[in-house]
Amino acid sequence: MSEMKKIKNLKEFSTSADRFEGANLLCPGCAHSIIVREVLNATNDDLVLAASTGCLEVCTAVYPYTSWDASWIHIGFENGSTAVAGAEAMYKALKTKGRLKQPDRNPKFVAFGGDGASYDIGFQWISGCMERNHDMMYVVLDNEVYANTGGQRSSSTPIGSSATTTPAGSISYGETRNKKDMMGIMAAHNIPYAAQVAPNKWKDMVKKIQKGFATEGAVFINAVSPCTTEWKFDPKDTMHLTDLATDSLVFPLYEVIDGHELNITYRPKEKDIVPVEEYLAAQGRFKHLFKDQYKYLIKEWQERVDANWAYLNRREEARV
Amino acid sequence: MANTGWDEFEIGAMLRTFEGEAGDIAATLQEDRKYTENSSFSASVADWRIEKPIFAKDYCIDCQFCWIYCPDISIISRDKKMIGIDMDHCKGCGICVEVCPTNPKSLLMFPELADEETEIAQWPAKEKKEK
Amino acid sequence: MAFDKMELRDIEVWDGNFAAAQALRQCQVDVVSAYPITPSTPIVEGYAKFKSDNYVEGEFVMVESEHAAMSGCIGAAAAGGRVATATSSQGLALMAETLYQASGMRLPIVLNIVNRALAAPLNVNGDHSDMYMVRDSGWIQFDAFSPQEAYDLNFVAFKVSEDHEVRTPAIVNQDGFMTSHTAQGVHTIDDDTAFNFVGEYKPMNDMLDFEHPVTHGVQTEEDWHFEHKARQHNDMMTIVPGKIDAAFEEFAKLTGRKYNQVEQYDMDDADIAVVCMGTSVETAREVAKEMREKGIKAGVIGLRVFRPFPFASIANALKDVKAVAALDRSAPGGTPGALFNEIAGSLFNSDTKMLLSGYIYGLGGRDLTKKHLVDLYTELQANADAGKVLTQQQQFIGVRGPKLAYL
Repeated sequence: MSEMKKIKNLKEFSTSADRFEGANLLCPGCAHSIIVREVLNATNDDLVLAASTGCLEVCTAVYPYTSWDASWIHIGFENGSTAVAGAEAMYKALKTKGRLKQPDRNPKFVAFGGDGASYDIGFQWISGCMERNHDMMYVVLDNEVYANTGGQRSSSTPIGSSATTTPAGSISYGETRNKKDMMGIMAAHNIPYAAQVAPNKWKDMVKKIQKGFATEGAVFINAVSPCTTEWKFDPKDTMHLTDLATDSLVFPLYEVIDGHELNITYRPKEKDIVPVEEYLAAQGRFKHLFKDQYKYLIKEWQERVDANWAYLNRREEARV
Repeated sequence: MANTGWDEFEIGAMLRTFEGEAGDIAATLQEDRKYTENSSFSASVADWRIEKPIFAKDYCIDCQFCWIYCPDISIISRDKKMIGIDMDHCKGCGICVEVCPTNPKSLLMFPELADEETEIAQWPAKEKKEK
Repeated sequence: MAFDKMELRDIEVWDGNFAAAQALRQCQVDVVSAYPITPSTPIVEGYAKFKSDNYVEGEFVMVESEHAAMSGCIGAAAAGGRVATATSSQGLALMAETLYQASGMRLPIVLNIVNRALAAPLNVNGDHSDMYMVRDSGWIQFDAFSPQEAYDLNFVAFKVSEDHEVRTPAIVNQDGFMTSHTAQGVHTIDDDTAFNFVGEYKPMNDMLDFEHPVTHGVQTEEDWHFEHKARQHNDMMTIVPGKIDAAFEEFAKLTGRKYNQVEQYDMDDADIAVVCMGTSVETAREVAKEMREKGIKAGVIGLRVFRPFPFASIANALKDVKAVAALDRSAPGGTPGALFNEIAGSLFNSDTKMLLSGYIYGLGGRDLTKKHLVDLYTELQANADAGKVLTQQQQFIGVRGPKLAYL
């Protein structure tokens, strides 16, 4: 086992030497990059990385440039998880056979994918990797939309969001289905560790990533990634939007250990909880919900968030 | 590399980040690394910016919020101190200004052509808390 | 922990699948990432059993689809080690996307395809629809006509594919059931000799070399893509054929079994010839001999290497032949068969004025009988005698109902 990197506070964290580079092509204010940095900087160990097709991939490896300082592979839209699983299998084989070039290293295997690549097209591949319990981490950069292809709905797109394939219109409020509970599904694989994270709560996030790295076996991370382009907010407000997501409890932060032990890791004080309406109002994708005929949806949103929070609390309490 | 012919690059469209051996890269700061021309570190997105951040060091408390929330690895922090902005990689998103907690802020956005010294000389005063 | 070696008899009775599995064992493949599909399943089952019995030390990853199987192979190959898998038909179709990615990234992987028809209608038996489907995927394609060849060609495939000047994945085809499930005598190579022929895997651009981080699978748009694809094609055209010949040569020295990109049987003085692949080659050889007893100078060409297509060797082998039949075991879907087209292309600008006709046969595992071939050779001889093709250029043989002929 390698030693866990000591990150007491932000000052100490800021001494990290980033292994992800600038002059990538991600939009100004993109949260993907912030998430990637927090993941990579959580360890000093060597990394073997993969990305499924999506914003992160097309913006960080456009020939003749790469933004990656560790080995990285992209195959297709659906198989970032399996690419890393294959590399991890090779690592094990070469370790057994004594053929590793640097046998003293302790590499971490990490795959990134957007919600399209993870909730939809790559769902089966991720499920396979989790079920087989590869020693790897899968990180979803969850911006609730196919952002790379211009804003189509995914199964992570929440009700009422106007996406290009579920556009709001005179007789439509946009997406009609609720967001898929990916955390629940992944935890149901009884993997050793699953966690929902947000980059604004960096300490919570880094702690979970480190926990994931220290875990032997498959780790699933769902990271909220506010998308300035598709959620329609000013690039400077990315962290504000992330705060609204976590503090409204639309995006609760919790972990599930071994498929059953659920811990809520961020519990805003009652007075600090932001109404869901405020979260929705900050984004252009929900603008139409503030018309009189759709206001009931905002109320329903709040009820859903409250119910989910109550459910998570009950799960935590039950310790099952 | 712009005019490279089909026979002039490595097979498999493979790219290398570093010249020679990387060493302990997680313990090597950017200025001490041997990047190849293929690392995007060697490239610039400065022309994306319409506005740019200017850093007024006097007000900075080195909280490192700008460092952790910068999407473009453009806040240069060394020895736990914020020492400047990487203007080749900053896209001008303005997140650093938003998350800066000091009063007045130690980072503010200005038009791309603004003069740093002039702006720092006329930096806004501490804002009085309302209410 | 060391693995155990296996004592083999000089001749073992193996079917094509087990022969391929034994080759994977002897090559000491590091990672097999696989998904079962009839008729190829026993190959990876064989590897799994070898692992359970400590005859191999590699990792066997049984994934959840063929697409994931090849995805895992790509990740493993990029990580830097010897990689193989097997599939058939629908599995190959699901895998197809990743085949282009493996070859584009120049990753050596050996894929055993046990040829089987593509649905619909669903069919588990042998034809070459799957082989043809991925013919432009940038993989080297070998074709085995028997279990012996399925065994031998796996060694050659690893050797060529992993060569640093080649670094291109390779397919070893064998006919579903006809080869894969038909036990025959196979001349074996002992474990050490077999492994020494392919050699220790030599990593290149390996992700697990932490001193040299590498980015695989970049995006190239209109300003770069063409150059990269051109390089890939160039290496297939100019480097791979020589490497295959060299590997065949070395293998012959080792075993006495000499392979050629274009296998020629009774071709020295042939007036008429059949060009085909897979188990049909053996049937055709038998019939050609019988035709010769009747005074008809019949020959057979078996295509050992389908990609890169041995354009010049085929043209050379056919230069003195009067009439030739291209036998395609795949539904052509509105065009002449692939072999017909390739052969026509290889001869069109040559001085050879031979007569070419195409036959579609054996779909979904339908037998190609000796009677079919006798009739076919008879037609070819008639064409040769008349100096023109007397039939239509594309005919279906062995199918019930009114005669099907086109073009």
